Amino acid sequence: MKRRFGNKNRVWLGIVLLMIFLISIPFFATDYWITLLTLILIFTVYAAGWNLFSGLTGYTNFGLAWFIGSGGYVSSLLIADYNFFWLFAWPIGALFTSIVSIGVGYILLRIKGVYFAISMVALTEGTRELFGTEYLTPITHGGKGVPFIAGIKLPTLYWAILVLAFLTLMICYRIFSSKYGLRLLAIREDEQAAETLGIHTTRDKILAFVLSAFMVGLAGAIHFTYQNYIDPSFAFSIHLTLTPIVMTLFGGVGTVFGPVIGATLFTFIHEILWAELTLLYMAIFGGILMVLILFFPQGLLGWMKERGILPRIRKI
Amino acid sequence: MPKDPILRIEDVVKKFGEVVALDHCSFAIEPGTITGLIGPNGAGKTTLFNLITGVLQPDQGHIYLKGEEITGKRPYEIARKGVGRTYQIIRIFPKMTLFENLIVVGKGTGKKVTERAMELLDLVKLSDKKDDYASDLSFGQQKLLSLAQVLMLDAELIVLDEPAAGINPTLQNDLMTLIHQLNRAGKTFIIVEHDMNVIMGHCQNAIALNYGQKIAEGSCDAIQKDESLLEHYFGR
Amino acid sequence: MLDFLEILIRGLMLGSVYALVGMGLTLVWGVVGIVNIAHGEFVMLGAYFAFWAFSLLHINPLFSIALSIPVFFFAGVVIHRRITERLIKEHELSALILTFGMSILIWNLAQFLWTNTYRSVPYLTGNFPFMGLVFGKSKTVSFGLAFLITTAIFLFLRYSKWGKAIRATSQNSEVALVCGINTMKMRMLTFGMGIGLAGAAGAIISLQWVIFPQMGGSYISKAFAIVVLGGLGNIHGALAGGLIIGILEALVTQYLSAKMAQIIPSVIILIILLLRPTGLFKK
Repeated sequence: MKRRFGNKNRVWLGIVLLMIFLISIPFFATDYWITLLTLILIFTVYAAGWNLFSGLTGYTNFGLAWFIGSGGYVSSLLIADYNFFWLFAWPIGALFTSIVSIGVGYILLRIKGVYFAISMVALTEGTRELFGTEYLTPITHGGKGVPFIAGIKLPTLYWAILVLAFLTLMICYRIFSSKYGLRLLAIREDEQAAETLGIHTTRDKILAFVLSAFMVGLAGAIHFTYQNYIDPSFAFSIHLTLTPIVMTLFGGVGTVFGPVIGATLFTFIHEILWAELTLLYMAIFGGILMVLILFFPQGLLGWMKERGILPRIRKI
Repeated sequence: MPKDPILRIEDVVKKFGEVVALDHCSFAIEPGTITGLIGPNGAGKTTLFNLITGVLQPDQGHIYLKGEEITGKRPYEIARKGVGRTYQIIRIFPKMTLFENLIVVGKGTGKKVTERAMELLDLVKLSDKKDDYASDLSFGQQKLLSLAQVLMLDAELIVLDEPAAGINPTLQNDLMTLIHQLNRAGKTFIIVEHDMNVIMGHCQNAIALNYGQKIAEGSCDAIQKDESLLEHYFGR
Repeated sequence: MLDFLEILIRGLMLGSVYALVGMGLTLVWGVVGIVNIAHGEFVMLGAYFAFWAFSLLHINPLFSIALSIPVFFFAGVVIHRRITERLIKEHELSALILTFGMSILIWNLAQFLWTNTYRSVPYLTGNFPFMGLVFGKSKTVSFGLAFLITTAIFLFLRYSKWGKAIRATSQNSEVALVCGINTMKMRMLTFGMGIGLAGAAGAIISLQWVIFPQMGGSYISKAFAIVVLGGLGNIHGALAGGLIIGILEALVTQYLSAKMAQIIPSVIILIILLLRPTGLFKK
């Protein structure tokens, strides 16, 4: 039987080529481009992490910044105040966030719908304000933030986030095409019916929540190491929650590659707007958001699937 | 040796604020029977189903499944122990395909689950639509899908909330035939129905509820003979 | 003891304004079904409205407050008709994102046009001494105005034809539709009222506090806490909720710190959603 070089192998080849290209970037590109790609990759993980939980279970997580800020703070404080090596500080930050998120998920995932979204916002806002109070300032350095240097060069950081982004997307791809992913979808479609059909909804949704927390927390740790500075008002900002969500919306909620496409397109548009219209770019961003939601709610990939340009399978 | 009842409800009370939905209700269901649950709207039938399946917890009383206490257990635990349930207003997963609707219920992955799903789709005569979204089905087809989901669970006790409502007589017939087929294979059914013909024509036993209390229990023949009872409570 | 009374009254005055903001949000949320994240931005616009009227046209701020009600009401009606009504049937996330986009658009536009410079309306300065306690004139007048507006809203909703229609729509919009109530019109009206309340609150706030483009942010978090406390769509609950938040803020600021007071809205939201998600007050 002849081995045919079918579609699947072509896709794999494409991915391998892309990865080789991305890995080699630091060898020929300028710092500007490496930085840009780093940010795209960070937000890809944020977006994919958000999409993994919220896109599948339907529980809109408006507290993504809580994952980011927690992972970011634990990691950054370990590096700044306790001289940890970044390679250890990062996973510890992510682990801290995901362990605490088990408790948070167990408590807050009993709340449904918009109320869940609001409770996550409240958690994030509350944590942000808490970090600025006199009581926690000794540990967190309060509102003035923590400037620090991690002893890592840009290319290394870039490669680290590249690996994380790749792993994140692979995990998402596996979950979306698995029965577990189907169970999460069932939770979105009708949680009570899912329960009476024997699906362990509590365990399944908390697992997705914690997974999301780990990936996003890890990316957060990397993000703030890259910035060499962390403060509560940015680390727990609604901006950090909403940008990945918008990116996912752009690309298509509930698709695997929607977040990547959204993150990439979005960052480029953001760069252009910022360069050309600095003062007004946020206002325009707001306007674009409104237009998107009103006219393209399914995002780019969703639109393509509907038009038949892309196959309507779940795993992409 | 007499078999244990498959389901035993013992002195169950459920209140919603001031309203007493179930008022010291007790009965037992024998395995392998088809029991009708009748009563006017608001009598507590759906609440009873919710208690049996763990969606709600009783304020007082106990529920036993195959001799084991299930009061206070979570819905998925009870489902896995062998209780399947359909809803008055159909609840399937609309944006998933028929095949996915079944696969997601089955335990584990692999060929056994896939084969079982195809078997069940054949049984309800929906295999040609396996990759269609559940929301594309007609009302009656969705009811069949919902029953197939319950069967995917391999439930021994199946509680159906108005399975015959809103579907044409032919489909109704198919449905009841299927139920008898499964009953002969050993499955126990509790069916809520308002259509007395369905109850009397297909059920062996019946339990009548009114205002949360059980007012009659017994074989359908006995209840049918006791016209005065039914007339008194249901004003027929 | 006198100190405590002073703090309490201060809290009530603070709370009365928060209540106005909260009532607007809960009305729109409960009746129209939209969570308007941009609600705080309309408060900000109300404040700027009073400011520009005062500094450019020398219009008496009290008059601006009165004027802001119809102006913002009208703006709300138009916004709903053109924008938010389209999302009524969609998933609630869509409305959330839409209003978030609107929020970003508005405050950044404000920042672009009017810069971040702090503004104020120094119209009522000085204090009222009263029974040994001292209260700022601007705060006292604000309280009175908030009280007036609240009463007007309650009377409107209770006794007027449209008010009753709004309440019907909030309780069961399908039945309301069948009864011949034009639910779209009711939603437009309600949205207008919500924005009108926000604008009026903003104009009142301009009397007491500094005005800057991002000021909406703190009001929206308090408004959320008020809606959750009072129960969705519950106007009376929102009034009570606003006063409670105001009093809590005054107490915590006095006995702990101003920074700790910032946590109050978040803590309240989490506690209520976990323990009594329908809010403290019955409809």
